[in-house]
Amino acid sequence: MSVGSARPAFTTRKARFIALCLLPGVVFVVLFTYYPVIRGAIIAFQQYNLFDLTSTPFVGLENFRAVLAEDRFWTALRNTGTWVAVSLFFQFFLGFGLALLLRRHFRGRGLYQAWVFFPWAMSGFLIGLLWRWMFNGQFGVINDLLLRSGIIEHRIGFLATPGWAMTSVIVANVWYGVTFFAIMIMAALQSVPRELYEAADVDGASRLRQFWHVTLPHIRPTLALIVLLRIIWILNFPDLIYSMTGGGPAGSTDIITTFLIQQVIGGDYGRGGAVGMLVLGLLLAFSVFYLNATRFEKAR
Amino acid sequence: MRTPLLPVFAAATLVLAGCGSGSSSSGEVRLRMIESLTSPERTKLIKTLIADFEKANPKVKVELISPPLDSADQKITQILQTKKGLDVLEVRDHTAKSFSNNGWLAVLPTTEWAGWSDLTELAQKKAVEVGGKPYLIPYGFYERTLFYRTDWGMAQPPTTWQELYEAGKKMTSGDRFGYSFRGGKGGADYVVQMISAYNGEALNPEKSFFLKDKRTIFSTPEAVQATDLFVKIFKEISPPDSVSWGYPEMVQGFTSGVTGMLIQDPEVIKTVEESSVKTWSTAPIPKGPSGYAFQPVGYAGWGATSFSAHPKEAVKLVQFLSEAKQSIAFAKGNSLIPISKQAQGDPQFSQGAWKAYLQAQQDPKQVITIRPVDYPGWSQFQVDSDRDVQALLTGKKTTAEVLKSWDAFWTDQAKKVS
Repeated sequence: MSVGSARPAFTTRKARFIALCLLPGVVFVVLFTYYPVIRGAIIAFQQYNLFDLTSTPFVGLENFRAVLAEDRFWTALRNTGTWVAVSLFFQFFLGFGLALLLRRHFRGRGLYQAWVFFPWAMSGFLIGLLWRWMFNGQFGVINDLLLRSGIIEHRIGFLATPGWAMTSVIVANVWYGVTFFAIMIMAALQSVPRELYEAADVDGASRLRQFWHVTLPHIRPTLALIVLLRIIWILNFPDLIYSMTGGGPAGSTDIITTFLIQQVIGGDYGRGGAVGMLVLGLLLAFSVFYLNATRFEKAR
Repeated sequence: MRTPLLPVFAAATLVLAGCGSGSSSSGEVRLRMIESLTSPERTKLIKTLIADFEKANPKVKVELISPPLDSADQKITQILQTKKGLDVLEVRDHTAKSFSNNGWLAVLPTTEWAGWSDLTELAQKKAVEVGGKPYLIPYGFYERTLFYRTDWGMAQPPTTWQELYEAGKKMTSGDRFGYSFRGGKGGADYVVQMISAYNGEALNPEKSFFLKDKRTIFSTPEAVQATDLFVKIFKEISPPDSVSWGYPEMVQGFTSGVTGMLIQDPEVIKTVEESSVKTWSTAPIPKGPSGYAFQPVGYAGWGATSFSAHPKEAVKLVQFLSEAKQSIAFAKGNSLIPISKQAQGDPQFSQGAWKAYLQAQQDPKQVITIRPVDYPGWSQFQVDSDRDVQALLTGKKTTAEVLKSWDAFWTDQAKKVS
């Protein structure tokens, strides 16, 4: 407790005001992020099966051992790699292209932007359902179009063949995620000062050189950050796969988060919690590595 | 000192939002009810029944929650875990055990209620099937029947799985297939149905995954035969795509004229009637070589929570929904097998496509079984077995491997329950 002058009194009042302003946010985050994380972490070490919640003893690392012993877990892990890497690659480059195109002024640009960004506002489950019917091997519109245009002769069981199923869910994910990159990159592009381009013009730099030496360095920190965000979000995005294939056929589109959902639906929250902890650890390690590799601090 | 009003308000709102209140000041009782097998049409029907209830009980208001079908049971479980804010709920055969085990369901009174004696024997039996106490009153039953095209050159419906395969073989050519196969979610149920039929008389209908001699149904040579035929049916008379088909696709396959046979629940009768397929009929499900067919009767019903703030009104609503008038309206609207004795004279449940159900009921070798839903591994098996079926169909696992793992799983489960 400090006695005295007006200054410290002023700061405590100010501090209290700031704390009060922060309170709703903090309460929200604690309630809906930290509490579930901690609870999940505890459950991961318990025998916590929905069948009987009246007895939930601690079982040490048993849940982790059970999960790591399953082939399905390792298949899901490999699939997660493919799912994230391929989705991200196409989302990034198509999104970048879209952002560059949308930077130009043309009639009806606002309306067009709104349409382009629409998928981002839709629920992953809904998108999954739409694509599930479009990719359907018997009645799907995609098969119909390919047949009519003579590209294929026989219908393809997109969601029924292991290789195709992964391709299909990734196509849907790319469609969904391109717009996010487009929005973010467009915003970043608009922050590049116009004078820099004018100066480059005076120096006689070509469009390509302008892009390389003016645009890119300027938006690099943003790019680094949104790529990281997307990696985390794609990895944590089971909705689409779950509603399109449920991880099938025979686990060929299972990613680590759909695997987690299956544990929970099977009633075993303990194992679900263990998978959750493994995902958390994986993402944490990756984020640290990534931010170091891109020298995020310096770039900023 | 200036009061920072905004954050105080924000915090207060948060706190208040956290405490939903059950009853309002005017002495009015508010009940919250949640459904599980949600569909737009059904929700509408439930709402009209609720409106009737509110008219008969002007002091009670009912709020219906209708979560999307796919995640409904998870949502209900989450609400139940908090033990508040819910009075009446839909309980399914799959969820009854875990809900009652965890003490979330109230035991419903049957003695001071006239409606109880109006329930069919089956309805009374199923009401107390889990835990031996009436934790729910069923609202109707699902039983499978065979739907088939009468214009695809089949004079008589198949009576055995072998006949179904042969009939399907004749139907299959080009873009047309004999059978609406289910390889996706819920697909394992169909192979289990075939394995049961092949095991015949040895099967114990009270614990349908086990034989009368306590071995599992997956351990026999008959199980191998059935599973091999199951794979053959997929490979030779079903659309290749159907390895991923779930409920909507297999029904769509039949109603769009891609497949000639479909085995499904009675609610599909309505769907097929409304489709462009006009020449079709129904028959009891196919049997195994020994002349037996087994199937569980699926059911769901209404229950009340053990922690309801208004237990009297909650029970009243459950009873209201289960009384003859309301339950028959509900069964008709959803094409379910009704729970009321009074429905037996109703022509809608004995004519046309429903005739096959009567036929099955009168056949002593069409046996109703009880699935081992009260074993701890039941939910896990649902998830695992569907994946195993897909692995089997795509050639990643053999019949022997799958049956061996299922046998091991249920032998282990038997030890846990005993």
